[in-house]
Amino acid sequence: MQENDYARKIKTYIVSMPSLPTTVAKVMEICNNPKTSPTDLDRVISLDPVLMGKVLKLINSAYYGFQNQVTSLVRAIIMLGVNTVKNLALNTAVLDKLSDKSGFRALNMEGFWRHSLCTGVVAKLIARKRGVDAQHLDEYFAAGLLHDIGKVPLNNILSNEYIRAMSLADRERIALYLAEKRTIDMDHAEAGSMIADAWHLDGPIADSIKYHHSLDVYEGPNEIIVMAVAAADYYANREGIGFSGCLYPEKLDPGIYEKLGISKTWLEEIDSLVSTEIEKASVFLNIK
Amino acid sequence: MFTVKIWGDRGSMPVPGPDTVIFGGNTSCLEIRCGKKLVIIDAGSGIRSLGDWIAKNDLKNGPIDADIFLTHTHWDHIMGFPMFTPIYIPGTTLRIHGPVNFEDETLEQIIGSQLSYRYWPVRQDELAAKIKYQSLKETQLDLGDGVIVKTKYLNHPVLCLGYRIEYEGKAMATAYDHEPFINLFPVDPKDPDYDPVIAEEGNKAATEENARVESFFHGADLLIHDTQYSAKEYRASKIGWGHSSFEHAINAANRAKVKHLLLFHHDPNRSDMELQELELFYKEKVKNKSSLKIDASREGQTFTLA
Ligand SMILES: [Fe+2]
Ligand SMILES: [Fe+2]
Ligand SMILES: [Zn+2]
Ligand SMILES: [Zn+2]
Repeated sequence: MQENDYARKIKTYIVSMPSLPTTVAKVMEICNNPKTSPTDLDRVISLDPVLMGKVLKLINSAYYGFQNQVTSLVRAIIMLGVNTVKNLALNTAVLDKLSDKSGFRALNMEGFWRHSLCTGVVAKLIARKRGVDAQHLDEYFAAGLLHDIGKVPLNNILSNEYIRAMSLADRERIALYLAEKRTIDMDHAEAGSMIADAWHLDGPIADSIKYHHSLDVYEGPNEIIVMAVAAADYYANREGIGFSGCLYPEKLDPGIYEKLGISKTWLEEIDSLVSTEIEKASVFLNIK
Repeated sequence: MFTVKIWGDRGSMPVPGPDTVIFGGNTSCLEIRCGKKLVIIDAGSGIRSLGDWIAKNDLKNGPIDADIFLTHTHWDHIMGFPMFTPIYIPGTTLRIHGPVNFEDETLEQIIGSQLSYRYWPVRQDELAAKIKYQSLKETQLDLGDGVIVKTKYLNHPVLCLGYRIEYEGKAMATAYDHEPFINLFPVDPKDPDYDPVIAEEGNKAATEENARVESFFHGADLLIHDTQYSAKEYRASKIGWGHSSFEHAINAANRAKVKHLLLFHHDPNRSDMELQELELFYKEKVKNKSSLKIDASREGQTFTLA
């Protein structure tokens, strides 16, 4: 198959991916605005009946102990407050995009999802450690969660090639994105960047998708969040939490830890925190 | 024996000084004794003296064993924990229960982070007591020996639980920090965001939730209710802050056939003189109209329910 055929296939696939703007992007926009009114929140979630169903299901889940009492979003917002419902919607919307099991071939869905979740959780912990204010914490989480989204089309429509890329990375002990480049002529950062464009994502989330393996060439305004995602990604790979397909991630420049203001010892100390956070977020996986 | 002792009843921040001698300046802490069982609600600054009292009087009868129920994790309700002497006494067993918002840290992290070197000279892992943390939701617990604890979500900026403790046919309940549920959606047809269906659903939800809160403390022998503001103060600028007015608490307690209402979570700016006046004013108001007994909570007071 020709290289440009790969690119074309991926493009076609991405175009056919369910669009983001009506759901996740909008939810994110609304959720990151501290002035969100109850009406805005109700409206944006109601736009997507599937999302709405999930949010209600979650509110009625064992987590809160309401026994199917919460029958409408309006009621949920009155009972739990705008902030709680905002967070629930944001997490549900983002995670939903990643947990489409169909088509996962070379990479195992569960492992990939865990890797993404771990990266999101750790990026958020780094943000919290840096004293980032509450309303931006979810941006770190979402950026971490979506950083490897480019692997979805590569894995789904070029699964044979993707298996070859993974074994090449294994054999030569190189990072997966380098092997992708050699096998498919496109790495997951590039594919991810096409998704980001298709979904009209910009800002820190798009930048994290595009640059988490090439921090040295990044020149935009979101350096810290991209670095946090790269550090979190490295943590997830090194600790073997989930599986990203990458067994030999490139070591991070020590300057990055310095810039982020975190130490290796701190990263070692957060283990139990990370696993509780992952367990908590796993609730979302079970609400299909 | 079923007793409730007030070790702290102030809202928001401890306010020691000559103006808070009668009603007290410590933030919330209740000591509840059901036979041999010790139940503590909240670890505000009032828990310090309670801890010392327990160390002096209970310890000689054997190791300390208690359940601590936190209404929520706002600072005024947990700040006394590092000064609670029993946590430094080997052999102490504590079960700490409380609600935790989704996505936030665990209860242990929230309470325990107060015990880190930047805030306190002793770290959480260095405590002598055996402490078990348990996050809580709307539920019912059987503590054994006939003590039942029921919980109900209240309306406050963070998840907050009311507690109802039943023992020997009597009941005490807390409803703080709490503000009546209100419809957060526009109800004025002229509002550009107005939607009749949503407005109606919002009204219904708020009404039903308020009814559920009232049935939660229905018939209680003692109700300890948030009354940080007067109705006038509340309407002027405190809607959405998560606290109730005297008027709301009295009306709700009256509807719910509560026997004795304790006005609680006093505003830090309220002096003894003002509180005395308010107490008298509201007592007068219900006199001859209702059998509801009203008192403003006083630090150090004990109520015997059975
Ligand atoms: Fe990656
Ligand atoms: Fe990754
Ligand atoms: Zn309070
Ligand atoms: Zn509070």
